Amino acid sequence: MRTNYRINSGVRFEMLSQDQLQELFDGVLHVLENIGLEVHHDEGRDILKNAGAWVDGKRVRIPQYLVKRSLEMAPRSFTIYARDGNPKHDIHIGPGRAHFGPGPTPPNFIDVETQERRPYVKDDARIVATVVDALPNIDFCESLGTISDVHPDLAASYEFAEMFPNTSKPIVAWSYGWDDSEDIHKIAVAEAGGQDAFERRPNYVHYCEPLSPLVSTFEAVDKLIFAARHRVPLIFTPCPLAGGTAPVTAAGIIIQAAAESWMGLVLAQAIQPGVPFFMGGVLSVMDMNAMILSYGAPELALMMAGATELAHFAGLPLWQTGGCTDSKVLDEQASLEGSISCFFSALTGGDLCHDVGYTESGITGSILQTVMMDEAIGYSRRITRGIEVNEDTLATDTIHNVGPNGHYLYEEHTHRYFKTEFWYPNLCDRHNFEEWEAAGKTKMRDRVIERTRDILSSHKPSAIKPATKKAIKEILEAAEARVKDKQ
Amino acid sequence: MSEVLTSISNAIIQGKKDDIGELTQKALDEGQSAQDILYKGLMPGMDHVSDKFKAGDMFVPEVMRSARSMANSMKILKPLLIETGVAMIGKVLLGTVKGDLHDIGKNLVGMMCEGAGFEVKDLGISVEPEAFVEAVKEFEPDIVGMSALLTTTMRSMGDTIKALEEAGVRDRVKVMIGGAPVNQSFADKIGADAYAPDAAAASDVAKKLVKKS
Ligand code: B1M
Repeated sequence: MRTNYRINSGVRFEMLSQDQLQELFDGVLHVLENIGLEVHHDEGRDILKNAGAWVDGKRVRIPQYLVKRSLEMAPRSFTIYARDGNPKHDIHIGPGRAHFGPGPTPPNFIDVETQERRPYVKDDARIVATVVDALPNIDFCESLGTISDVHPDLAASYEFAEMFPNTSKPIVAWSYGWDDSEDIHKIAVAEAGGQDAFERRPNYVHYCEPLSPLVSTFEAVDKLIFAARHRVPLIFTPCPLAGGTAPVTAAGIIIQAAAESWMGLVLAQAIQPGVPFFMGGVLSVMDMNAMILSYGAPELALMMAGATELAHFAGLPLWQTGGCTDSKVLDEQASLEGSISCFFSALTGGDLCHDVGYTESGITGSILQTVMMDEAIGYSRRITRGIEVNEDTLATDTIHNVGPNGHYLYEEHTHRYFKTEFWYPNLCDRHNFEEWEAAGKTKMRDRVIERTRDILSSHKPSAIKPATKKAIKEILEAAEARVKDKQ
Repeated sequence: MSEVLTSISNAIIQGKKDDIGELTQKALDEGQSAQDILYKGLMPGMDHVSDKFKAGDMFVPEVMRSARSMANSMKILKPLLIETGVAMIGKVLLGTVKGDLHDIGKNLVGMMCEGAGFEVKDLGISVEPEAFVEAVKEFEPDIVGMSALLTTTMRSMGDTIKALEEAGVRDRVKVMIGGAPVNQSFADKIGADAYAPDAAAASDVAKKLVKKS
């Protein structure tokens, strides 16, 4: 029996002190109360005003007490459920749990067969969902593209309709506005068995993007209102560029992004007290020479870690970012940038880490990058799981048994632990030279492509209900009718 | 070359946006023509900045200051250039198209064009085709530059070109487009005069467009 014994389960990672976090927190409150944001949505402003915000024209300022009350109302721990009831695919949000998934909407995709960059098409959503469903370290699904071969206004609706049957891992959905948000929600509700059932077991998350600096756009607010009213867990995530649309300093961009996100928090909690809310923000640098938003910069990992700590300090889960790269191909740069940000994200315990599979700074999605990062996440998770210390793992008895000059291969202790103490790679090659040579001298990228193709030819995701299939068909037909006269 | 023109070039390179006005005035007082100040002082400075930027030795915030210095000097020179009938480099009307809110890329294009000596008018984000048409009539630009970052809003680029045609002003301007999902074949499809993949290329393309016309 141990007394006064403290266990560190997993790797401890802490960057900012409580004093520093308090200072960042106060900075956010200051921005919201004294500077305020523009909210380009009449109803949104009315709701905020009724909740206690100060509204002056389009400018909305939020008193500290209201922000704090909204933070209190939002849950820190909750579950997003697999549509098919498979508990392995549920996502439990809560302290110390990092989850990973791809990102939304790049215009291009890396073709799995040819490895060429080309516009994203409808079938790519099926490909991405199927691969996500099979990968052991990818927990939620996004499409990695904007479908180009349907009516442009229906890209989000078709995408959800294509992904939903092909993975039972929760989807993080995006949309352009109210109508396509509704299409998506109807599909999810059909499978859940009605709105009430959905509210008890939400099976997707909705994602809205305000504008930096300091604007809650009409679309972002409209979608937030839709999600909050229907009790869809939601993410309100700006995309500030340090030095471009946000302060150049990490501390500065973090408080601006938090203020932009928490405007959404206050609004969402005013509409639907207790609706699950993820603080968001893709925070990175604008490369001052290449003129891109860098998805491979060390500052992305660093700023995201700071944002994660602030969110957790405030009692919110965070929409993390990692596994992404500025590289155009599946190469060493892609691996370096993606792996380090995955590892760093895993360390922070940022709750949903997205953009795993973004390449070319978010212009091109690549499921091959996601597959490679699945390995990096597995690797990272082995490290963050840490070292278990107890009488059995100390192994003094076994050391005694083996004694000098023996070996451990026969030991029951070895047998008991070798599968859980060690991580086994899926893609990294550890064979000796001759074996590697005999197996075709493959490189990492060859094995990534092969694994992806294997999954696509063999993996069968669980099916959706026949009634949902019918509902999807009807929803898409109605959507087509809606846009029929728009070019 | 005269000392004052050299110091104007240097002021551009160093981004001395608050001193450039005084230097410009000094050069005029010393009897330099507006044309010489532009072509022998400002432009060589800006060409140097542009080369350094392309080589990765200068950065956006520095280029921004150089471009602003250029614009500040041009404010003084413009009436004199017009008076003496010297051709101005040109005017660029810029905007992010209807429905699109992405603006930092467009702002960088504006900066680079300003640096190249263009007078730039920026209509902001989500600019309606009609607003482009109105601004063309009012500002009389040589180039209309449109930015779009979304596949949905790329459509507005074509709509804007149509609106320019319908208003009978399409012939008066060159249309340049850019933004992440845009490419040359899309530019050809909607009848734009040019496409530029990034802000540095945009100012080069703009220079070529006004030379042709
Ligand atoms: C006139 O001649 C010219 C010539 C050259 C020109 C030119 C004009 N204009 C640009 N150029 C060129 O020169 C510039 C400098 O070299 C370059 O400009 P860029 O603007 O490309 O480069 C900038 C310097 C840096 N790049 C950027 O600033 C854009 C970065 C990314 C991540 C991006 C951001 C930041 C934002 N976004 Co948006 N956003 C993305 C972008 C992904 C990406 N990597 O591009 C993109 C463009 N967004 C996308 C989407 C989907 C959306 N965004 C949205 C919103 C936003 C924010 C508001 C959060 C924010 C914009 C903030 C702001 N103030 O601008 C939404 C739409 C809002 C709207 N109605 O516009 C929303 C629909 C998301 C949603 N579901 O709500 C994707 C478009 C996909 C598609 N197929 O259309 C996207 C590629 C992201 C992704 N990876 O999926 C060149 O393109």
